[in-house]
Amino acid sequence: MAKAKNDTPAVTTYADYEVILPPNKLKKAVVKASAVTPADDPVARAEAALAELANEFSSWMETECERLIQARQTLKRVGVNATTRDELFRAAHDIKGEAETFGFPLAGHVADSLCRLIEHTPDFEHVPSSLIDQHVDAVRAIIREAHLEDAEATATRLTARLRQVTDEFLAHENRHRPEYLDGILAPPLSPDEQG
Amino acid sequence: MIRIDFNRLRFLIIDDNTHMRRILRTLLHGFGTREVYEAEDGAAGLEAFTHYMPDIVLTDWAMPIFDGLELTQMIRQPGANANPYVPIIMLTGHSEKKRVIAARDAGITEFLAKPISAKSLYQRILNIVANPRPFIRTRTYFGPDRRRNVNPNYVGPERRKGGKADVIRQQPLLNKAKAPV
Repeated sequence: MAKAKNDTPAVTTYADYEVILPPNKLKKAVVKASAVTPADDPVARAEAALAELANEFSSWMETECERLIQARQTLKRVGVNATTRDELFRAAHDIKGEAETFGFPLAGHVADSLCRLIEHTPDFEHVPSSLIDQHVDAVRAIIREAHLEDAEATATRLTARLRQVTDEFLAHENRHRPEYLDGILAPPLSPDEQG
Repeated sequence: MIRIDFNRLRFLIIDDNTHMRRILRTLLHGFGTREVYEAEDGAAGLEAFTHYMPDIVLTDWAMPIFDGLELTQMIRQPGANANPYVPIIMLTGHSEKKRVIAARDAGITEFLAKPISAKSLYQRILNIVANPRPFIRTRTYFGPDRRRNVNPNYVGPERRKGGKADVIRQQPLLNKAKAPV
C-alpha cells in the first residue's frame, strides 16, 4: 500500500474501492515513554478533575429533572406532536446519559425505560399518559429522595417494575413486527461501554 | 510504551447539553489538553469545525438543527472541508445495535456510549492517536476502515473486489489500546 507524503493522502485503487492513507496529523502528539508515575497518569488526573466537580452534580441532576417535568407538562398542555414528543425524549435521553456520572444510576435506568417507550411505540398516542407519569415521577423521586434510608432498595424495585411494564407494552404494540421487536429486546452492542 | 501529549491536540466538543460539555471539557483538561472548543448544536459545530480546525471531534448524537450523524456525514464529504479525515468520536446514550451500526456507516471513528468515564474516553483517544486507520472510499461509503480486525473464522464472499491486496490485515486496535500506559 502506498504511503502518505507530506499533506497528500496516499491512495491505492482496487476494483470497486480505494484505500486512502491520510497524512497522520496526530503523530505530533505521540510520545514514547519508558515509565509512568501515578502523578503522570492522565486518567487519574482527569478523574481527580471530575471529582472536583462532584459537589455540583446534585444541582445539575435537579436541573435535568426539572426539564423532564416541564416536557411532561408541555405534552399534557399542548398534546402529542413531533415537538412535544421530541422534547420529552431529549430530556429523558440526557438523564439516561448523565445520571450515572452524577451519582444517580437508577434514575438513568428509569430514563432509559422512558426513552424506549417513546422511541419504540409505533404510534406514540397509544402510550398511556399514566405510564409516562410513572416514569417521570420515578425519576423525580429517585433524585429528590435519595437521602432516605431505604431509597435504593425502593428505587431498584420501582426501576425493575417500570422496565417490565414498558417491555410488556412494547411487546404488545409491536406484536405485528416480530423482527423489530427482536431488535429492541436484544442487548446493547456498544463495545466496552464502561471502558 | 506510548503516551499522548494532549497539550498538542485541539478538541472540538459538540453537545447540546451544557452539563455534558462541562464534563467533557473537565476530562480533556484533566488529560492535559489546553485547546478545547465547544458548540451546542450540529450547525454551530460544523461552523466551529471549519473555523478551529480541531484534531479530534467529540460529538453527541441527539441534537437540534442537525444531529451528530448528519454532522459526521457532512464532515466526511470529500472536498467539502479542509479535513474530511478528522477523527470523530460519537458520544451518545444510544447503544442499540442498529444505532452503533448506523454511526459506523456514517463514518465515525470511535463510538462511546454514555455514561462515559475518564478511562473509556482516554482509550478511544489513544486508539485514534496511536493506531490511525486507513480510510476506505466505495460507491456508498467514505470513512475509516470498518474492518478493525481479521476474523479467521469468517466464511463467506469477500465483499471488496480487486484481488489479493483487498484484504487489509490489521492488529485489533482495542487490544493495542488496552496495553498498560
